[in-house]
Amino acid sequence: MDCFISIELGTNAVRVYAFDTNGAIVGFNRGAYTTFHPAADYSEQDPEQIFITMLFVLKNLVSEIKSTGKYQIVSLCFSASMHSLLAVDRNGVPLGNAITWADNRGKQETKRLRTKALARKLYEATGTPIHPMSPLLKILWLKSNQQEKFEKTSMFLSIKSYIIMQLTGRYVIDLSLASATGLLNIHHFGWEQEALDYAGITPTQLPDIVPISDSSCKLKRQYQVSLGIGPETKIIAGSSDGCFASLGGGIMEEGRATITIEDSAAMRIIGRKVLQDEGCRMFNYILDEHYYISGGPSNNGSVVFEWFSRQFANYTDSYSDEMVMRDLLLMAEQVDAGADGLLFLPYLLGERAPIWNPSARGVYFGANINHDRRHFIRATIEGILFEMYSIGKLLLQHRDISQITVNGSFVTAPLISRLLADIFNIPMSVNQHVSAVSTGAFLLSAKEFGIYRSLEEAAKSITLHAPVHPDPANHAIYAKYHQLFEKLTDKLSPEFELLDELTLLSDKH
Amino acid sequence: MNQFLFKQDNGNELMLFPHILEMGVRKNLSVQLNAFPEIVATRFCVYYVIDGKFDWQVAGRRSIILPKDAVYVMPGEKIGGVNGTLDVGTVAWIHLDIDCLLDKGRTQGKWSGFSESEALTIEHIFRMHRAAHLPILNEVSRIFQDIYTELQQREVGYASMVNQLLDELIIVLVRQLTRQSASSRDFPKKFLQLEQMLRQNLAHQWTVEEMAASVGMGTTSFTERVRSYSGFSPLSYLINLRVTEATRLLKQPDLNVTDIALDTGFYSSQHFSTTFKKLTGYTPREFRKKNLYL
Repeated sequence: MDCFISIELGTNAVRVYAFDTNGAIVGFNRGAYTTFHPAADYSEQDPEQIFITMLFVLKNLVSEIKSTGKYQIVSLCFSASMHSLLAVDRNGVPLGNAITWADNRGKQETKRLRTKALARKLYEATGTPIHPMSPLLKILWLKSNQQEKFEKTSMFLSIKSYIIMQLTGRYVIDLSLASATGLLNIHHFGWEQEALDYAGITPTQLPDIVPISDSSCKLKRQYQVSLGIGPETKIIAGSSDGCFASLGGGIMEEGRATITIEDSAAMRIIGRKVLQDEGCRMFNYILDEHYYISGGPSNNGSVVFEWFSRQFANYTDSYSDEMVMRDLLLMAEQVDAGADGLLFLPYLLGERAPIWNPSARGVYFGANINHDRRHFIRATIEGILFEMYSIGKLLLQHRDISQITVNGSFVTAPLISRLLADIFNIPMSVNQHVSAVSTGAFLLSAKEFGIYRSLEEAAKSITLHAPVHPDPANHAIYAKYHQLFEKLTDKLSPEFELLDELTLLSDKH
Repeated sequence: MNQFLFKQDNGNELMLFPHILEMGVRKNLSVQLNAFPEIVATRFCVYYVIDGKFDWQVAGRRSIILPKDAVYVMPGEKIGGVNGTLDVGTVAWIHLDIDCLLDKGRTQGKWSGFSESEALTIEHIFRMHRAAHLPILNEVSRIFQDIYTELQQREVGYASMVNQLLDELIIVLVRQLTRQSASSRDFPKKFLQLEQMLRQNLAHQWTVEEMAASVGMGTTSFTERVRSYSGFSPLSYLINLRVTEATRLLKQPDLNVTDIALDTGFYSSQHFSTTFKKLTGYTPREFRKKNLYL
């Protein structure tokens, strides 16, 4: 039987899945790599480590698959986190580490650009919000802070482009990832000259743009031998993790959306048109030549809940992380909707959508003498989900949404999807597929091999658990608390700035 | 214990022990301003609080030190009372030269009974934790008392006894340190520290025991934890880092392939070549040729 391999270059690890022609997972392997934080706001990864880890993991999976004697590997399809930037010299040798999406070093460059009229123009042309995550701002940071390195840079790559270069010898970037660089015109599918001019680079310093279904790159002979993959195996360029997660969420029809909560989180919709947001708060990335993925990302997903449990959960009895999480959720269930008036703003890592404020911070509001641990747990969870609703409300201004697919280990816990349904007043369906990103990669690969005629048809094959329906009474409570949540977020904006200045000051001392 | 102060250049109590720079107990009956200013330690300094409550800066972190708590700082780390103040209470201390532990090549001045591999593990642990506040460490009180008694009474074999007690003190500190840091909530952080340590010294022939000890875990649970966290066994993860670093170095034209092999911890250039080719399909030399167009 034919077998399709998906290679997910994620934030913390590479995950490799093998699918049979029915979309069933027949093999899985993963390997973690490290994120380094050499300074506050910095977030880097070692490109060679990612490449070597990927090779190890892929090689092991391939030999496992082949040893069954049942499968023929017909394709490898790549996905990767958005917004990474890696500078390489004219020999293709990395000039230091790759900078990840979570890196905020370009704060100043962002502030400067936002004061200009060009900011709106670039946002409208490129679909990428003006924020330090954007490779555009990262290149600007490099230009103003590491001029020598900037001048030595022959190519500006994404991590995925680097990996594909190692395997095939070609510099390419798929349309989806290119659309998340802040450098691509999402209406014409070519590099946006005005963005390039502002960044001070030329199109020759960027990889060739290819469709997500492109399979023109060929695996180098040496890797064919070491991996045990023949020359007939297609190397499919693939997409970004966010775009594949939306495809794998099966939401191509009208009225559908996905919410993914991993470390970070996002709510997304798919549409044929770009979503025009006056406030420049929503992203518009390209899925393929016909579809856009629009929505908003939050920095504060399950990473916030993990922070909470590290600080306040009971780890004494050699508990596993899952046990700790289960205990916390059990305690949270003992408290009613609204946590008896305790609110939490979850901005531990600053925030992207919808407020795009890297200086925002976490806040517990409304604590009284009767609140105990359980209320804090409940409020923490509700705060994370309220933030998703803030993004959701913006999307709801543009589209009707009647059903939402949820992905990610945090949000698929029964309590969490129920709370989310209550907060949104929209049914939530848990995705049955283990990884929405790799499922998306499978759907694209299967379409390329003629199993589906189109991506629309492929997306319809996704099966979901029966939806969790909202409780109107709880929604009424949440609607009120959410108003307060938004007011607080808004009101505290100048205080967040002030705090940022104070902490910068004390850092200097 | 009553107040006392033994110093290298003052009195003869420490004559046989050049590695003990100072030892003492101080009973402080009233708050003394400027009696304990923050200074950079030049030696390995261990403090033990017998009674009272002390508000200190330990390596830039404020700590409230209570009775039975121990504190140590490595040379180069700062320690002192907040605003230089010494609070009311009784504190014991000992300042040691542990260079011979941390510098394997040096046999001169070696007083400790640790084997080379034990010393190496201890060194790694102290390098990762350059200072610490270790609450409720009962054993330290007895060890201090015994050292003091041995130095005072000088019975037969006292020199050996004192040195054994110093080894014991170091073991007690290291064990508590590893227990304290083994809590599962900190694993990702510990793992990052471990990775940085491995990357800094890839040439060393790391064993799983050494790696486990440096994050304060037993070998079995460490292996299990690393596997579930990273997807690799500890040794596979290490090989992964070796090949990663070798890949980077091969792209620098001025380095010799054999040197790269040894620097990244392969036994020989043959071993390097086999491992590298198995994964990438290239021998290191072919890989270098493909990646350098100069």
